[in-house]
Amino acid sequence: MFELQKGLSVQEKLHILADAAKYDVACTSSGVDRKGGKGMLGNARACGICHSFAADGRCISLLKILMTNHCVYDCKYCINRVSNDVQRAAFTPEEICELTVEFYKRNYIEGLFLSSGVLRNPTYTMEKMCETLALLRNQYHFNGYIHVKTIPGASDELLAKAGCLADRISINLELPTEESLKELAPNKSFQTIINPMAKVSNTIAENRIALGKNAHMERSFGNRYLRGSIFNDENMKSLEGKKENTGMIGQTDARSGLKALDLTNDRELGIYGASDHIRPFAPAGQSTQMIIGASGESDYTLLQTTQRLYQSFDLKRVFYSAYIPINEDSALPSLDTAPPLLREHRLYQADWLLRFYGFQADELLSEEKPDFNVQIDPKCDWALRHLDIFPIEVQTASYDMILRVPGIGPRSAKRIMQARRYGSLSYEGLKKMGVVLKRAHYFITCGGHMMFKTPIEEKYIMRQLIGAHSKENWQITHTEQYHQMSLFDDFGVS
Amino acid sequence: MILAFREYIIQHLCCVWMFYEKWDMMKIFTCKNRFEDMMTCIYDAWEYALVYGHENVSLIREPVVQLSFMDEYIHIEPDADKVKKVVRSIIKSISYEAYMDVYYAALSADDTLDDIYRFLNVGFRMGPALTRMLTEPVVIRMMEHRRKVGNEIHYWREFTRFNAIENKVYVAHIEPKCDVIYMVAGHFADRMTSEHFMIIDENRKYAVMHPADGEMYLTDLSDSEMNVLKKTEEYADEYRVLWDVFFHTIGIRQRENAKCQRNMFPVWMRKHAVEFMEKK
Repeated sequence: MFELQKGLSVQEKLHILADAAKYDVACTSSGVDRKGGKGMLGNARACGICHSFAADGRCISLLKILMTNHCVYDCKYCINRVSNDVQRAAFTPEEICELTVEFYKRNYIEGLFLSSGVLRNPTYTMEKMCETLALLRNQYHFNGYIHVKTIPGASDELLAKAGCLADRISINLELPTEESLKELAPNKSFQTIINPMAKVSNTIAENRIALGKNAHMERSFGNRYLRGSIFNDENMKSLEGKKENTGMIGQTDARSGLKALDLTNDRELGIYGASDHIRPFAPAGQSTQMIIGASGESDYTLLQTTQRLYQSFDLKRVFYSAYIPINEDSALPSLDTAPPLLREHRLYQADWLLRFYGFQADELLSEEKPDFNVQIDPKCDWALRHLDIFPIEVQTASYDMILRVPGIGPRSAKRIMQARRYGSLSYEGLKKMGVVLKRAHYFITCGGHMMFKTPIEEKYIMRQLIGAHSKENWQITHTEQYHQMSLFDDFGVS
Repeated sequence: MILAFREYIIQHLCCVWMFYEKWDMMKIFTCKNRFEDMMTCIYDAWEYALVYGHENVSLIREPVVQLSFMDEYIHIEPDADKVKKVVRSIIKSISYEAYMDVYYAALSADDTLDDIYRFLNVGFRMGPALTRMLTEPVVIRMMEHRRKVGNEIHYWREFTRFNAIENKVYVAHIEPKCDVIYMVAGHFADRMTSEHFMIIDENRKYAVMHPADGEMYLTDLSDSEMNVLKKTEEYADEYRVLWDVFFHTIGIRQRENAKCQRNMFPVWMRKHAVEFMEKK
């Protein structure tokens, strides 16, 4: 690998390597609370902080860059694949540290998101990345958020080191099944992705227990206690004994098969803080991302994979990325395909239902109905298929049930639970508490009567809800900008 | 016909007269837009209401735009003792949570003084359950005030931009609607403990100063000081250029969505954000 032009400036490198990193989606800085202190720079907030929003409306929270976009792999969907003729560059560790610290002090960013193309081989690349992170933590005393991507195939020692230095560690699954991975990413294999994921997951659990916490990651609003939730202790337990069918994640039963990473040598590696303060292993957990629309998987497969990832590897987040055609290849959708933004939106909605609302993948989709309804959101869709249990009475229904009503979220459900202990609810009051009555009023009664005279018929309610959703859906699928034609700007008359 | 009309007028006037007799003059307590002033105002209004009833008292934050005809206006000056008493009794007889609601509401850009008063009125009867009684309209209103101010604090944690002067002092200018710079600065004091920085509220003309490894404090700024500090935004800095490059590279062209961007980063907050400032 050569750089044809020597001596690129930092500005040019930043342009090339940010441009190469922009397709990665996991730009969150959440999941860990850490105080700052004298002599160091930075703290971390569990809620996460976005610092700006790019022209596509996605948040910019971290300095999202590649260490290098040189790559020996040839994944078909990727802009940095070896067979592409793009400008290549590489940052030195010092350049990355300077950029991170100076941006951080100006409050442009919340931390660093470091990923990389595969330079020479996975281990060499990962070693370079760890060197950068160690420099940032120990020389620059940076105490802010760091998200590091691991390179499939890197050694265990490096994985352990990366996890001790970073807050979140992630490895991209990219494609949900072994077949499509083989087809589109010939240099990667399922095992080189799943094994490190399992090891990291075991290490996090071990480290959490050593620190006196529960082995599982924290989940918000106590959704571990919901009866149907995928994070419920019983549901987690039943999964561990189960052997899954073939072709998907989980059947490798990696969690029990692989040992956790060995962290005992780390004190010599000099990756603990200056004092005796021991940095926990990836306190914000691990995450992954899948590409939507590059291969032929159904929403059902994607959602099931997601659920398995949450349950067997205790991932903090699974991200979806609508495939944007950048390479021409017979195995990929053609270049003029629009990114499937609405599908991505539906999957995220379903992901929220899994993580916050106590739903399971099998409730939302099935073999017979493998894709989401594009016209209404997954929660409304579920409710319409279960009209036999609706309407429910908000005054007396259980928290589980209230949370399942379309238009009521964890916050408004909590408020309802609090408020009804001290007085009777009204529709006016519900609205003030944040309930979206536009959707909710078909499914609830308040004080024994519904808001309007509504027939409980699937077709009728479906029609009404589609009307309510149509504007939002149109906006997601049509993001082009229209403007008034102007004689001066458009036709150059002046 | 005419007789009936006369009868009607007389009856009507009698009604108005009776109403006026019964309707004593309203006392309206006003004060400046500061936490101490507001707490004192609540203390004095409460004292008056103990004799004449809470329904005959109203509280308005200055400036009072429109005076009403029959009410009496009383301006209240702050008094440290009364502030302490009010705060102490909110925390003791209601809850700390309720005190936080009151404190946040007091920072709001809107006039929330009367809401705070009514909130405490219910609160001293109900005790610690107050903040959970969301069926009470005034509790919901206070929850909304707190959410509004809390959201704005969070926004400024995100969108405040510091300009580095010689890599030693970091200066930020913001124009918040609510009075939030002290709360915002608290976040940065933990984050950049060993740096000198200041955050300037351009609308209210005062600033939070934070010396490295020291305690932060509030200070008023004169016009000449404001003019000098204005220049810090034009200070040449290579990282401003680099940030601009990064910001304009990281968006994906195929997903462009200005409406979403506006929802997430409101236009009125972009005035001092480097990436949206016009290039010279």
